Amino acid sequence: MNTASLNFRLVTWYAGVLTVVFVLLGAITFFSLRQYLEANVLDNQARRARQIADTLIARASRGSESALGAELESLYSPETNDRFIRITRADGTVVFASGAPHGGGFDPAQVPALAGTGARKIALGDSSLLLAAVPAVASDGSRYRVEVGTSARPLEETLRRLLMMLAVGLPVTVAVAVAGGFVLVRRALDPVARIAFKAEEISQHNLSERLPVVHSGDELERLSVSLNHMISRLQESIDGSKQFVADASHELRTPLTVMRGELESLAQDRGLTRETRETLGSVLEEVERLAEIVESLFALSRLDAGEASTEWRRFDLAELAATTAEQMSLLATDKNVNVACDSTAGVMVEGDPARLKQVIVNLLDNAIKYTPAGGRVRLSVQREPGYAVLEVTDDGIGIPAEALPHVFKRFFRVDGSRSREQGGAGLGLAIVKSICSAHGADIEVISTVGRGSTFRLRQPLAVGVSARS
Amino acid sequence: MRLLLVEDEKKVSDLVARALRAESFAVDVADDGAHGWELAQSYEYDLIILDLMLPRLSGEELLRRIRRSNQQVPILVLTARATTEDKVHNFEAGTDDYLTKPFAVAELIMRVKALLRRGPITRSSVLRVGDLEVDRFTKQVRRGGRRIELTAKEYALLEYLAANPGRVFSRTMIIEHVWDQSFEGLTNIVDVYVRHLRSKVDDPFPVKLIRTVRGVGYGLAESAER
Repeated sequence: MNTASLNFRLVTWYAGVLTVVFVLLGAITFFSLRQYLEANVLDNQARRARQIADTLIARASRGSESALGAELESLYSPETNDRFIRITRADGTVVFASGAPHGGGFDPAQVPALAGTGARKIALGDSSLLLAAVPAVASDGSRYRVEVGTSARPLEETLRRLLMMLAVGLPVTVAVAVAGGFVLVRRALDPVARIAFKAEEISQHNLSERLPVVHSGDELERLSVSLNHMISRLQESIDGSKQFVADASHELRTPLTVMRGELESLAQDRGLTRETRETLGSVLEEVERLAEIVESLFALSRLDAGEASTEWRRFDLAELAATTAEQMSLLATDKNVNVACDSTAGVMVEGDPARLKQVIVNLLDNAIKYTPAGGRVRLSVQREPGYAVLEVTDDGIGIPAEALPHVFKRFFRVDGSRSREQGGAGLGLAIVKSICSAHGADIEVISTVGRGSTFRLRQPLAVGVSARS
Repeated sequence: MRLLLVEDEKKVSDLVARALRAESFAVDVADDGAHGWELAQSYEYDLIILDLMLPRLSGEELLRRIRRSNQQVPILVLTARATTEDKVHNFEAGTDDYLTKPFAVAELIMRVKALLRRGPITRSSVLRVGDLEVDRFTKQVRRGGRRIELTAKEYALLEYLAANPGRVFSRTMIIEHVWDQSFEGLTNIVDVYVRHLRSKVDDPFPVKLIRTVRGVGYGLAESAER
């Protein structure tokens, strides 16, 4: 589970807060109930004690103390009712004390002889007694102390049950609430997941697509609408720049035609001095390079626009590589670079052979260009499960690590002056990249300065090829 | 022979008309589509060269009108647009050939001549430039009676140059005719092949036939300076 997801975090917070609130509520309930119940019981004891003091003791006298005991027994039967009753004279002599209760809630013998009056809870070993004491005056003026108590056990039993209910109920409630919260949050966040999924699918090639809009009237609807507006603006700007490149390369063609035509007719005039001819030639070379750049830009803008290729068919990439290498071998021989072609036969792919050939031509041309005399260039086409892999490896000058991420960018040159001398405008690899994208192929480069580079192209094999190979 | 050139860019039409007139063609120039349509209706032209982007009446519309009036005249289209779709579309509309700007004037002249020769073609199987003989059927090359062994690409290059002696071809044109479009921009391959060709065809002989015009390209001529 993704612990950083909004869903997880929301539910965790929710569960935490809920637990704290429930625990606090349970504690408050428990303690206030205990206090209320104890106070209530003590109040009862005190009332009963006053009753004894006001009725029985007030009518009694020193001489009738024994009759008092019998009267108390018959009126209150403390043993049966789990009560504790004790009458003490002012000098501390116990006049009456109830016996052990039948319920066994406490041991009366253990109840200490306490001084003073009031209500309190007394701990007696493993049980406790809620005891109230009041003063009483007999008819002959002698002073007594009346103590009435009851076992705290029923009260404690009640509280124990409450505690049990809380202990079981709280986790269950929290679990149910968390599960509900999880479902709710997921339902609320589900559109977010769909928006994210769709957003990942949208690239510069399908900018006309839009994110799903949830008509919920909430923040998510606003978010998806705003994102769609953003995509629209992106689309406008990208379309604008593509259109600009297409228009610019288009508009440059006519002046280039004129420049080229006029200069060519001048250059072929044999009456010119050698110097003038050289100058004209130099200008013409630049015009030609300009024309090549315009052509490359136009080719790129066409590839960007996703122009459907009319020559889409199934062919053997290994064979194409071999013939291309053969056609370029003289170029390598001329530089004293050895080009070796090493391929598995019958690596069938689908695509435009002319464009993929251009990829091979550009890669080989680069490799030969940047490999010093005596160096080696290796071209290989191999089959991997589901993929055709074309590699062009050279042991040339290599590409610095900081330049590697940029080699497929337009107009990028590793070293301006050197590359410029070698010709080209830094568009060759950009075209390679665009053609690869159009064929659903990946291209990557691995390089070490001074040891050479490897360009590796991975293209899905034509479907159903396994049956043939 | 009379040619109609419909092109709104004055400098382009001047350049093309001048080059065509130098080849002894009579050239009428129209600078918009409507004017071009008037001229096309008034005369029986041997060939029409048409820019696609024209004011008043578009090149496409002009092309359609000429074809609808059932004229069998060959039409060469000049355009700055070069997508495959456009090409297919225009061939369907009745274009005979196609040139993308920026084109070399030499290329245009060659295409024009090729279109006009479409009728009765009498081409000798052996091309001769000075004492060089290129046999198109046997693919054999002799100079001064001596057999010269060439690789397939070297032969293709030499045959292309020998077919138009005295003309200078740009390296881009050579690439397009001898190699294929995948080699576009790889013009140094032409230099390498020309150098190899020279070592076989020119170096052993006192008279040099392969001509280099810097910035323009290469050609074959009976007396070429290096």
